[in-house]
Amino acid sequence: MSAFFTLWRREIAAYFLSPIAYVMMMFFLVIMGFSFWLLANVLAQGVAGVSIMRELFDSFFFWITTLTLVPVLTMRLFAEEKRSGTIETLMTAPVSDAAVVLAKYFGALSFYMMIWAPTILYVVVLRAFSPLAAPPDLGPIAASYLGTLLIGAFYLAIGLMCSAMTRNQIVAAIVCFALLCVLFFGGFIAFIARVDTVREIANYFCSLAHMRDFVRGVVDTRPVVFYLSGAALMLFLAIKLVEARKWK
Amino acid sequence: MDNMIEVKNLTKRYAGCTAVDDVSFEVKKGEIVGFLGPNGAGKSTTLRILSCYLPASGGAAKVAGFDVFRHSLEVRRRIGYLPESTPLYPEMRVDEYLSYRAALKGVGGQRRRQRVNEVKELCGLTDVGRRIVGQLSKGYRQRVGMADALVHDPELVILDEPTIGLDPNQIRHVRDVIKNLAARHTVLLSTHILPEVEMTCQRVLIINRGKIVASDTPDKLRTRLQGGREIVAEMRGAKNNVAQELYKLPGVTRVTTEAEDGWTRFRMECGAEDVRPLVFEAAARSGWTLRELRQEKQSLEDIFVALTRVEQEVK
Repeated sequence: MSAFFTLWRREIAAYFLSPIAYVMMMFFLVIMGFSFWLLANVLAQGVAGVSIMRELFDSFFFWITTLTLVPVLTMRLFAEEKRSGTIETLMTAPVSDAAVVLAKYFGALSFYMMIWAPTILYVVVLRAFSPLAAPPDLGPIAASYLGTLLIGAFYLAIGLMCSAMTRNQIVAAIVCFALLCVLFFGGFIAFIARVDTVREIANYFCSLAHMRDFVRGVVDTRPVVFYLSGAALMLFLAIKLVEARKWK
Repeated sequence: MDNMIEVKNLTKRYAGCTAVDDVSFEVKKGEIVGFLGPNGAGKSTTLRILSCYLPASGGAAKVAGFDVFRHSLEVRRRIGYLPESTPLYPEMRVDEYLSYRAALKGVGGQRRRQRVNEVKELCGLTDVGRRIVGQLSKGYRQRVGMADALVHDPELVILDEPTIGLDPNQIRHVRDVIKNLAARHTVLLSTHILPEVEMTCQRVLIINRGKIVASDTPDKLRTRLQGGREIVAEMRGAKNNVAQELYKLPGVTRVTTEAEDGWTRFRMECGAEDVRPLVFEAAARSGWTLRELRQEKQSLEDIFVALTRVEQEVK
């Protein structure tokens, strides 16, 4: 267990020891800041019927950052260790394969949460200065962050799995981005399918539809189970991929 | 239990080639054993199996009585392994890296700082603790790798080509460190540089094309392969008389002569007995002037070439 925490701490430190953390944080905050500024402008004009949480957590900006952020955060996890050979010193230390995979995963997830943390200020500002009669409720706010966390948990696990497949970071990032796009845009079937059954099935994995529920404060157990079990499956695959060197 | 490493019929096949072929050997506690072979002989593969990075295709390997596959974690707790390319995290500082590796290997609390300082001193890293690993020279990086392998005070230290790419001074330093390990650790190191083995190791395992072709102390290997001694004496005297006298010495089977600026060099092939005192006495008796008298040492290099070449011719 202590080995897990040692690895987890190093994973988080590794983000801050490379320029990735700062570049990604800036990229993220610029886009989210722009999104917030647009929202503030709309609110200032007094346009009726604006869903504040939806503008922040279900916007074009939200999805474009999530879909690009995740591959960049996860691409180096295993690929870099394989490329530089440090995987050999890592895997010959007395730690289990599962501990290594989980530590890397939770390291990435922790960093993802750190990147999101400053956006809580936006919500504080909106609650304090909202011109609307009813400022955003805590319920939808909490649900929105829960949704963001769940989506991140699954997507990051996909990225981790991709990184465990290859020794090339670029390949890991591209494969991850492709898989995320398939998953995300595949979910659009939920809006366009003519057949009811197809639409219902697509609803199970449509992140966009899930997020629309979360921003309204609706926490359905189906997406919760979907993201957690999806993450677990990806982590299982990643552990098997790390073990795969022993099958050759 | 005297054996630190027991390897029985170890085989490792990759797709299309056999890297290690039915290898068996043992390493006793406290020994420094050199694993010698040309490039691609299967040295690194064997070391990787012993350090639990790769599994074997067949056979068994035990470290400190634990099977490397079934009790992998127990084995890994007891070994310090330095891979061939000395992989390190370039963005970390030396102290940070060693402390992280120590924690990962279960060295906790107060003892961790103490161990980090000890290995830094042992490996000559005391002055570079605050430096970033990626900015260090190759020699210092190698030392950091060594320090990492030693930081949890392992019973067995496995070093894969520890002196590769270093300059002569750095090589000397690494060798001194290895020699100092002998008191507390068992060491298995691989190399393709022969003098290194002669200088640091008590025993040599020569491996070629995945098979162990010889295993002995460097001295014994030398006499065994040579099958006898060669004595060289440079003298001044009537050439034929001297040669005849030399033939009379016990065990001398052949004498060849070369002339050099008025001196004659006699090469005697003889048996196990050391005839040098007898040569001296004969020279004194007959009034020959003796300029040089020595035993020709066949270097380990010759043995190595002989062993590996024979193997190749058989194939």
